[in-house]
Amino acid sequence: MLKRHFPLILVLLIVMLALVLPFLLPWTYDQIDWDAVRAPAFNGSHIFGTDEIGRDRLARLAAGTQVTLMVAIAAALVSLIVGIAWGATAGWVGGRVDEAMMRIVDGLYALPFMFIVILLMVVFGRSILLVFVGIGLVEWLTMARVVRGQVMALKQRPFILAAEAAGTPSMVIMLRHILPNIAGVALAYLMLTVPQVVMVESFLSFLGLGVQEPLTSLGILVKEGADDMDMAPLGLLLPGGLLVLILVCLTIEGERLRDRFS
Amino acid sequence: MLSLITRRLMTAIPTLLVIILASFFLMRLAPGGPFDGERPLDPATQAALQQAYGLDRPLWEQAWLYISRLVQGDFGPSLVYRDFSVSELIAQGLPISLTLGGLAIMLALIIGVTAGLFAAVRAGKAADKMIMMLATVATALPTFVTGPALALCFGLWLGLLPVSGTGEGGAWLIMPVVALALPVSGAIAKLTRAGLASVLKQDHIRTARARGLSETKILFKHGLRPALVPVASYLGPAAAGLLTGAVVVETVFGLPGLGRYFVQGALNRDYPLVLGVVTLYAALIILFNLFADLVYGWLDPRMREG
Repeated sequence: MLKRHFPLILVLLIVMLALVLPFLLPWTYDQIDWDAVRAPAFNGSHIFGTDEIGRDRLARLAAGTQVTLMVAIAAALVSLIVGIAWGATAGWVGGRVDEAMMRIVDGLYALPFMFIVILLMVVFGRSILLVFVGIGLVEWLTMARVVRGQVMALKQRPFILAAEAAGTPSMVIMLRHILPNIAGVALAYLMLTVPQVVMVESFLSFLGLGVQEPLTSLGILVKEGADDMDMAPLGLLLPGGLLVLILVCLTIEGERLRDRFS
Repeated sequence: MLSLITRRLMTAIPTLLVIILASFFLMRLAPGGPFDGERPLDPATQAALQQAYGLDRPLWEQAWLYISRLVQGDFGPSLVYRDFSVSELIAQGLPISLTLGGLAIMLALIIGVTAGLFAAVRAGKAADKMIMMLATVATALPTFVTGPALALCFGLWLGLLPVSGTGEGGAWLIMPVVALALPVSGAIAKLTRAGLASVLKQDHIRTARARGLSETKILFKHGLRPALVPVASYLGPAAAGLLTGAVVVETVFGLPGLGRYFVQGALNRDYPLVLGVVTLYAALIILFNLFADLVYGWLDPRMREG
């Protein structure tokens, strides 16, 4: 158990550290230590040193991880809700409605969606709420496809037919019988959506279109590190490595969960 | 096949139109305009500029004007790069972006299919597990991390490759292309491995074995083609992902491709430039999806539409 779910445990550990560290460290993520600008690692109270304007690297990493994961979870939930609503409706109603709804999904799949999201960010300012919604709206497509398939298969099962024959309203069948049965698969895809969302959020922040200063995120930290990498490689390698670690662990766990349900 | 192509191109037109109109109105909703620089212009100049570019007319009229010019191949003038038309900027940027994207997808196919093939042959063995693990890691490598990390390692530390800009020879292409190709190659390796594993269990492979064909011949002649069907259906989304990744890679490595123009244009409210790039990207993706469908039909004749 412990060895099998090592990736998941690692992610949970990172989350815990990101939550707890800000309370333990003597520096906050936006506090400038004028006496230790560009401090190297293991320098006094700065474990990973400070960046080019003297902010503690570890505190910024913890704060950035918090924001990135918060955005990721919120946006993944948006995609979960939209995806389930869309997919379940299409699968349940079937026929022409299903055809039309899935055509829209196919069409959206093929679009340069990132560019529309970038436009959205530019247009409506860069509020963190919009980052959630924007990303969630892009990432719901796969969820909708998967849920639709599951609902179509369930619809033929005797217990659903029985419920229908007994005159149970559609809404009740959906909530009581269908949703609990697709929960496992939906959870697996939710888990796979989180790394996708982390990537999109960091991508936007990297371009300067996501989370804005003074807030920070892993994407912003990678960007700052990349701009200053000839002076301080640690500034790029720490957030970059942490981001890749989180992405890899979540992907491995998500794929494992998906394979178990399919 | 010809009817599939015409049918697809017919549906492409309304799709493109929707994208163009959506981006057009989105851009115009944005506060700020292309002419608010550091130093505010006096109102008379502002008004004259607005008039010169037709920005004072009603929105619908502007949209109509834009589309009617677009149909004639005119993307309009760039509002920020004042001496250039958008067509000229696209003509400069497109070859760079296409080279990057094309090389990246080729590299990804070579690495991905080879790795997937190797893993499928060794199914269940240590080599298989190792390759699949590496493939998972590769899919989770974002270009904006691998790009700077490669530049740091091979550019700054080892001094082997140029860190930014285009130069003589092809050395400047190596790092951007590798950064772009890595995640795609991981996904392709997984798809190839899964496809091949299921194909190798089928009857026609058993028949081929029973007839005493060599294992290599079975693999390449009878196994690989149907196994690549899932890879073909992934090519469409992969192309979209590469174009998005190219935005980052061009920014990181300072390459004057389309992606950089897009980001610069969006930040500076250069309406025609952004619209032009979005339109072009959408058209490219639609074309590539059509191409992927044709490959799909070639790989699996059952999928051919009349």
